[in-house]
Amino acid sequence: MDLLGTAIFLAIKSLIFIMGMFLGAAYLTLLERKFAGHVQQRPGPLHVGPHGFLQPIADALKVLTKEDLVPDNVDKVLFYLASLMAFVPAIMILAVVPFGEPFTIFGIEIQPYISDLNVGLLLALAFGSISIYGVIFAGWASNSKYPMIGGLRKAAVLIGYEVALGFALAGPIMMAGSFSLREIVEAQQGMWFIIPNILAFVVVVFCVLAETGRTPFDVQEAEAELVGGYVTEYTGMKFGLFPLAEWYIATFVLSAITVILFFGGWQPLPLLGWLPIPEFLWFFIKVFLLFMFFLWVHWTLPRYRVDQITEMAWKVMLPLALANILIVAVWIIIFG
Amino acid sequence: MQLWISQGEVESIKGKFPDILEERGDNFTSILINKKQLIELLTYLKEQLNYKMFIDFFCIDYPLHTPRFQGVYLLFNPEKKRRVAVKCWAEDNSLPSVINLWKGAKWSEREAWDMFGVRFEGHKNLVRMFLWEGYQYHPLRKDFPLEGYKDTYLPSLNLKEGETPAHNYDPYHTPLPSMEDLERTEKARIKKKNQIVLNWGPLHPGTHGTIWFLFDMEGEVVQECDIILGQLHRGVEKIAENITYTQFIPYTDRMDYISALCSQVAYVNTVEKLLGVEPPEKAKWIRTMMCELQRINSHLLWLGTYALDLGALTIFLYTFREREKIMDIIEGIAGIRLNSTYIRIGGVAKDLPEGALDVISHFVKDFPEKLKEYETILTKNRVWLKRNVNLGVITEEDVYSYGLTGVVARASGVPYDIRAIQPTDAYDKVDFEIPLGKVGDCYDRYLVRIEEMKQSVEIVKQCVNKLKDMKDDKYISTENPYVLPTLEEVFNSIEAMVKDFNLRIYGEQAPEGEIYLSGENPRGELGFYINSKGEGKPYRLRIRSGAFYNLQVFTELIKGKTVADAVVLLGSLDPVVGETDR
Repeated sequence: MDLLGTAIFLAIKSLIFIMGMFLGAAYLTLLERKFAGHVQQRPGPLHVGPHGFLQPIADALKVLTKEDLVPDNVDKVLFYLASLMAFVPAIMILAVVPFGEPFTIFGIEIQPYISDLNVGLLLALAFGSISIYGVIFAGWASNSKYPMIGGLRKAAVLIGYEVALGFALAGPIMMAGSFSLREIVEAQQGMWFIIPNILAFVVVVFCVLAETGRTPFDVQEAEAELVGGYVTEYTGMKFGLFPLAEWYIATFVLSAITVILFFGGWQPLPLLGWLPIPEFLWFFIKVFLLFMFFLWVHWTLPRYRVDQITEMAWKVMLPLALANILIVAVWIIIFG
Repeated sequence: MQLWISQGEVESIKGKFPDILEERGDNFTSILINKKQLIELLTYLKEQLNYKMFIDFFCIDYPLHTPRFQGVYLLFNPEKKRRVAVKCWAEDNSLPSVINLWKGAKWSEREAWDMFGVRFEGHKNLVRMFLWEGYQYHPLRKDFPLEGYKDTYLPSLNLKEGETPAHNYDPYHTPLPSMEDLERTEKARIKKKNQIVLNWGPLHPGTHGTIWFLFDMEGEVVQECDIILGQLHRGVEKIAENITYTQFIPYTDRMDYISALCSQVAYVNTVEKLLGVEPPEKAKWIRTMMCELQRINSHLLWLGTYALDLGALTIFLYTFREREKIMDIIEGIAGIRLNSTYIRIGGVAKDLPEGALDVISHFVKDFPEKLKEYETILTKNRVWLKRNVNLGVITEEDVYSYGLTGVVARASGVPYDIRAIQPTDAYDKVDFEIPLGKVGDCYDRYLVRIEEMKQSVEIVKQCVNKLKDMKDDKYISTENPYVLPTLEEVFNSIEAMVKDFNLRIYGEQAPEGEIYLSGENPRGELGFYINSKGEGKPYRLRIRSGAFYNLQVFTELIKGKTVADAVVLLGSLDPVVGETDR
């Protein structure tokens, strides 16, 4: 009975998280469009609702009601599976991301996370890797040349950056002595892990850009070369899930993990602790700032060529991540 | 300014080839040689007399003469800055191919085969340039009917059985290639099992128009590349043979639609030189100013789309913001934004409206700052450098061999700028520098274009200063018998009305003769060869398009590079399909 109660409770909580993420992602699209608009000296969406505020809902309706074309000679099973494979793992990472310490309202203890696993970070990495299959499946199943090249490019990029990302995350784990994201935040009471792990942070920023396919690394859908990359043959909501998963949910979740690992999670900014701001708001402010940083990079830079990206992954990012492990190890020996 | 081969050089040729026939005119000097000695003479010109730059090759059809077709080679001596034309009759409808001397002849010979049916002995890939394989006719022959040959029954695809069509259409058409034809060509290209043939275009965001590239790829590396042109071929040269000189001006707009004014100026200058019309001073300054504005406009569009191809979306919108201002200026002066048809034989269509100069001087004051903005984002950007530096290096030798002109030539260090070599309009009275590159890679082409925009701003400033003092001058020399009178004159005097009627109906009765004159377009040398037989329309009008020749080198540059480099290379060569296809 107790188990059933926990299950129902968790199911409801997961549903709230998923719905929240959906709505959040929808409004992240608006945020990105507004941001891009102002970067490019234009107002962005303006006409649906007050100041374009209902634009994401209009977009969602449009995408959902579009005709869902499936080309004749695609591999139907993989074709359908691909868009889900890209989307579901991205949102599953949320299962291990904590948004704050447990707190009590009206006598009920509420944990602002779904589960506090002791291998949380590993699970997040694993889910991140699965979503790559979505892209590769999409490229392969489309049975068309441009998607195939796009999918293969993405695979080449991700193999390099997954390795670097794994090594870069080792630094904070070593300092916290735990894989649990909540414990990592708690370990940063005195000092954020950015201090000795600055190299790892640089690597992680590059990896997030590469994993989410944002501009210096958006080779998999370079529209000038590959038309639409791996999404060329997709339409309707199947198409909509890809950018939603990659550009918004993945970017958001990876920003959240980066904040947890390097910027003390929900701890207030230094010298601003006296402000009456609740913990989870601090967390969201930091995630928001990091997300904006990624947008800023996306809308400013040109893109690399795919071989230059992989070259950078193996020749620059991997050594940097390894150097970071060394630095952290020395740090731990000296400061304990 | 005399740009043709000197008498002394012709004499020295005559010493070696006694059979040649020299035709010397004010605007055109040609040497006629028989077919056997043609290659010998061209080699002599290239190697001994240093006429090493290939400008153009084309054919002329004389139906009553045997042999029927005449080939004309235009060559340029970059040291003495002189041109020469070599003519040769195509006996048995064939000429020796010169691709061993100049690689740039590859496409122009294919074009001649396509349009005239002249064969080229020794050409490695003599297939049609614009029309499809299997088409039997050669459209630029004088006996080809304007409406084409309709011999294929092709009912409307939307029409159901028993339905009466809403409009009266002709179910007989010129034959077209089918999908099966295309698949066959694709299958025939694959040499290895791990190759794929990527159809890059004709409708692809990276090609900036309807060019069709075939990449034979292994992995992402392009092994072999073919370019199929003709999707935008409208037969402009054929059209020109059937309308008067003035009527052809709007067609020049629609060739290089991004720099319409430059094309008009190049064409009108040629016609004016042929007719002996001298435009008033004010019109010359206006033309120069408009040309330079159009050059900035064109380069801005290039910068925007180039950055867009490389993924920097924001620059695209920044450049279009500035481009919009130029578009507004052009709209205010010419009345039309894109295809402005503003230049007329003998002047310009309208006087400058009041306040136009203020707007322009405000723009040129404002613009350099914006240019600096683009440069801060791009010029030293590491990603930008990584994508551009040492990619697509074009050597000086390539420039001469392929007949590359414009920015592509100048980025390789060849100071070939028509504005300086053969200044028309007011270019000899303005001060400007010709920026040159050192390496000849994509990055140099980028830098040269940016620098050219700065120079154009300087030229526009000088023009504005000059035009301020010419407020009440005449803008079109209507007193000349070849120049159409203004509307006001037509309504107020019977002589002007008769003249207007005559010119519009019978055209400008140009004196007999030949002329080749070119203008410096943003995309290279846009040359017009006009052969007049004393009628109101040209007997043969050949358009030497800069983009057409510049695009040829692409197939060489792309070999061994990836698809991602293809966009960069194509962007840096900057072709406009309206001009390559004509």
